[in-house]
Amino acid sequence: MASTNSDAAVADTKPFDIVATYNELLSSDADLTMPIAAIEALVLLLTQSASSTISETLDLLEKSTAHLKRSIPNPIGLSAGTDLFQRYLITTLQRPGQLGPAGDFKAIRTHLLSNGRLFIRRAKESRDKIASFGRGFIRDGSTILTNGGSRAVAALLQKAADDEGGHSAVRFRVIYVLSSTSQDCNHPNEEPEGMETVRALRSKGVPVATIPESAVAYSLGKADMVIVGAEGVVENGGIVSRMGTYQIGLLAKAIGKPFYVVAESHKFVRLYPLGQYDLPIEQQVVEFKSEEDLAEDCKPQSIADTNGDTSIKLPLCDSVDFTPPRLISALITDSGVLTPSAVSEELIKIWF
Amino acid sequence: MPSSLALTPGLGSFLKCLKTNPIDTSIETLISLLKRRQIRHSRSCATATAYLLRSVISACRTTDSAKLIERVQSVGRRLMAAQPREMVVGNIVRRVLGLIRDEAEDDREAEFALSDIGSESQPQTPRAFDDPALPLDRDSLSFRSEDRTTRPPLTSMFSLLSHPEPEHSLPSTPGSSSPSGRLPGHSPSKDVRAEVLEGIGEIIDELGQVDDQIAAYALDHIHSNEIILTHTSSTTVQKFLLKAATKRKFTVIHAESYPNNHEATHATVSGSASDDDNLGLEAFQKPLIEHGITVILIPDSAVFAIMSRVNKVILGTHSVLANGGLVAAAGTRVIARAAKVHQTPVVVVSGVYKLSPVYPFDFDSLIEYGDPSKVLSYEEGDLVDLVDVQNPIYDYVPAELVDLYITNIGGHAPSYLYRIVSDHYRKEDISF
Repeated sequence: MASTNSDAAVADTKPFDIVATYNELLSSDADLTMPIAAIEALVLLLTQSASSTISETLDLLEKSTAHLKRSIPNPIGLSAGTDLFQRYLITTLQRPGQLGPAGDFKAIRTHLLSNGRLFIRRAKESRDKIASFGRGFIRDGSTILTNGGSRAVAALLQKAADDEGGHSAVRFRVIYVLSSTSQDCNHPNEEPEGMETVRALRSKGVPVATIPESAVAYSLGKADMVIVGAEGVVENGGIVSRMGTYQIGLLAKAIGKPFYVVAESHKFVRLYPLGQYDLPIEQQVVEFKSEEDLAEDCKPQSIADTNGDTSIKLPLCDSVDFTPPRLISALITDSGVLTPSAVSEELIKIWF
Repeated sequence: MPSSLALTPGLGSFLKCLKTNPIDTSIETLISLLKRRQIRHSRSCATATAYLLRSVISACRTTDSAKLIERVQSVGRRLMAAQPREMVVGNIVRRVLGLIRDEAEDDREAEFALSDIGSESQPQTPRAFDDPALPLDRDSLSFRSEDRTTRPPLTSMFSLLSHPEPEHSLPSTPGSSSPSGRLPGHSPSKDVRAEVLEGIGEIIDELGQVDDQIAAYALDHIHSNEIILTHTSSTTVQKFLLKAATKRKFTVIHAESYPNNHEATHATVSGSASDDDNLGLEAFQKPLIEHGITVILIPDSAVFAIMSRVNKVILGTHSVLANGGLVAAAGTRVIARAAKVHQTPVVVVSGVYKLSPVYPFDFDSLIEYGDPSKVLSYEEGDLVDLVDVQNPIYDYVPAELVDLYITNIGGHAPSYLYRIVSDHYRKEDISF
């Protein structure tokens, strides 16, 4: 995402750079989600460092996590992964008996270090699990409206279109909302996010209509339900997702169509946003400018500067919005179909 | 079956048949009763299922819990296939499966505890001496602890990071589950089957007491001089109102629920109800009017007009779904919607046994269609040929139209129902 030359340079001088590792992991595997990349980065960090005591390790983790969060423009997704990792470590250590205080710290360390691949595999498997849970939502003759480039949604739709495993293929149609903002980013010629899924679905014989974001309200009357992905699921059951999801949610509510969210449970993040502007990130979406400001902007800055040292601001194409829980009918996760209020309970279970 | 000939087919005849006939015949009997809709009230279906499963388990001469689960699953599948819309059948099967699993795990855990005592003392030794010359011991220890991580993960969110192992959910706090919930701890040597049978006995007891338990909350919700609107001849609602009538004076407006339930409703209002499916208990009950309650019987079409005067709507239900929505007698949705428009609170009374872990993917498939001759009888033959007559028996009411659920374990918001579902059913049993 924001992998830059400066990061790479740091990686050479420093023994281990978690930010570079994280970005590398994300770019190396298109199927990797942010939380899993963060967990992987932390596992690699533990492999590199020779910490042998519990507090040393926890301290190292805490520092690196903080550093990672500071250096990534949108740390919401990854913080779900780092929190999960940290909590897993702490709760496993606290549980009496096995790996706990009476046990050996080495054992849990080796478990975590040796199973890095396993975590990635499980994370990908969880998408299949979601797909099998969510299959029931997609019925013959239904039309589904979706947006963004969520891999979980893509997996779900493709699974429904497949006729393997005794199920016959569902005959459904898809209205795919293609974002216009994703085009004018750093790669102006790149096709909008989601085109890959559109092609995959079409090749499976699913009729897909692609519409711009401005046509959502117009098209929603033809859809039976809305299924979207999420970058993070927050404590109150709302979701942080690609810019434009919130308005689809509002429209779906207004028109009375069910709005389902597909998300892996490792995306649950301990955050309680009260509104759109309460997210712990800075986005350049609403920017008031007068003639003077524009003239000033043109002079010294070029586009490349967005990735400079003050680049914690999120580029427009990666901007997100918050969809409140009242707009969400249900969350399809790998632990079943949950109502938004069930999310906080899952989170409380790992924190307390 | 000469003994059951005297009875009309139903719960009573089935229970009699269960006593005298071999288990396979009983299973077939219940399946055909379900298929022919000769047994149809939620509670009768639940009771029949619970009794049948009790016989199935007592006939199954094994202590192996896996075999028991398999047997119950196969019987359960057949019952559910016989009448997929009767969700309580599946609920009871799932609860029995959960019981068996709990018992099996209790046993295993007890064994764990025993072995833990043995191995726990060992880690202490190297630590106490803190001798660096004991690497061997440490290694063997870490191996052992690795073995023992076959323990369940704390939550499903941790399942990502944990060792590969079968899934397991944390046992819920016993206080929040209904009597059928968990049984107290016991020694590992006890017979799983006996424990399960005891558990099913508790489920059956729960089914018998459920209405009275719900009625116990009545005084918290019905106040003096209130106007209550209700629908259908649900016994749960009647008992709820009767309980409040012993202490308070209020008015009940009863929508008659034509055409499927109006006769029973009229009988309930006038006090001449004699429902053989309810084991004759209701016959001894005095109707509301004898408690000095004003009861107004209205046609269903008058619901909206009268809603502005109503203080509270109390509804019975056929089954409750995991998302907080419910499947109830046709006409319920109209009432709930009218109540929403008038901002009148809607209270649904339902036993926990009606609460299904099934997520309603397709609302239309939940709706059962009944005998169209109740709408348009065949005497009007000319018309029958010309029009398509439909008689839906149930309505799907979405969760946002309900304000409160009162079950035998208390009052809950619709958004909280998922929690009760997870307390009562095991995740692995939801789709079997």
